[in-house]
Amino acid sequence: MKMLCLIALTAFATGTTARAQMGTNTAPHFLRLLDIHADIAEGILGGHTFTNRGHVHVSSPGFDMTCEQLVASSPQSGGRVNHIVAETNVVIDATDAKGQTVHATSDKAVYDYSVENGVTNEPITLTGNPQPQVIIHQVGFVSTNWADVFIWNRANNVFRSMGNERSLTGPTSAETNAPPTATNELAAPKMSLPPGADTNFPPGSLDLVRPRGGRGGPGF
Amino acid sequence: MAGAVLLAGCNKSGDNVVETRAPQDAPGHTRDFTSVKYFDAAPFQQQMKWRLSGADAQPLGELLVIKQAKMETFNTNGSRQAIGEAPECVYDIKNGVASSAGHLRLQSGDGKARAEGDGFLWRQDDSFFIISNHTHEVFEIGSETNIGL
Repeated sequence: MKMLCLIALTAFATGTTARAQMGTNTAPHFLRLLDIHADIAEGILGGHTFTNRGHVHVSSPGFDMTCEQLVASSPQSGGRVNHIVAETNVVIDATDAKGQTVHATSDKAVYDYSVENGVTNEPITLTGNPQPQVIIHQVGFVSTNWADVFIWNRANNVFRSMGNERSLTGPTSAETNAPPTATNELAAPKMSLPPGADTNFPPGSLDLVRPRGGRGGPGF
Repeated sequence: MAGAVLLAGCNKSGDNVVETRAPQDAPGHTRDFTSVKYFDAAPFQQQMKWRLSGADAQPLGELLVIKQAKMETFNTNGSRQAIGEAPECVYDIKNGVASSAGHLRLQSGDGKARAEGDGFLWRQDDSFFIISNHTHEVFEIGSETNIGL
């Protein structure tokens, strides 16, 4: 299985190597308080699973997500909510403390919360068809990425991608400063590419940015 | 005897359900309605599993219309799992189902998780509930509160 460290928001800004390991003690878990709106909710009183259907909207500080179905679960052994599955037209918009924004779309997103040896892990795994897309906006910079699987660890803001990875990276233009639209379309926003990048490939054919050092993706 | 109507189907032999009522204002009209189910399994038979109560109840065919309904579920240690409140609901005694087209407000026993919406059904046997419109929930990740309220 090919696994690439695609983008690390912090490392991107500082030029350091992205951290591939999951988890850190420095960041508090980000999904602490979930506010969920939906058409329908169902579950078992005192149970361990809660399901929302239809126009689901989840908000938490710095995090917004919409989808058609969301199932939140806690383990049988305890009450801690540790597993959330969002399905169908999943759209995530997140902003970190530095104002960097992430716009992600996928068919399915799975959030897992765990603490191992005092380290908090909160990966969000994006999968499904159409291929998941992640657009990262930073000051003066935007990166659009596709892959069959993204594993986004919010604890350290590292994205890992697997399978059919593609990336477009360039400085933010007036067009790409616009708020990302909530869509699952794979069409990349118009952007300025760095010198040498070949823009003649049709979408989905080849990576538009040549990997460096065999790791793939910009910034490495 | 309107009271007998209210009790029908609730005090069957082997059915661990007890109905209690306050004095009646008029035939079929009961104030301070309460229906309780106890755990079946030993040693918790003295612990309430759920309680449905209301400010008053009126028969509607084989159903009861309960005003200011309160639905509570409990753990085997007696602590409250969840509480639901609705201005009005219809209680199907025979099938153990409470439902309403009106508003429902749910809260976990510790108050850390909340849910509300319009239109609901609560099936007492397995504590299944569904809120069918305009649902809104708030809960904490990392708290010890059950997701099921």
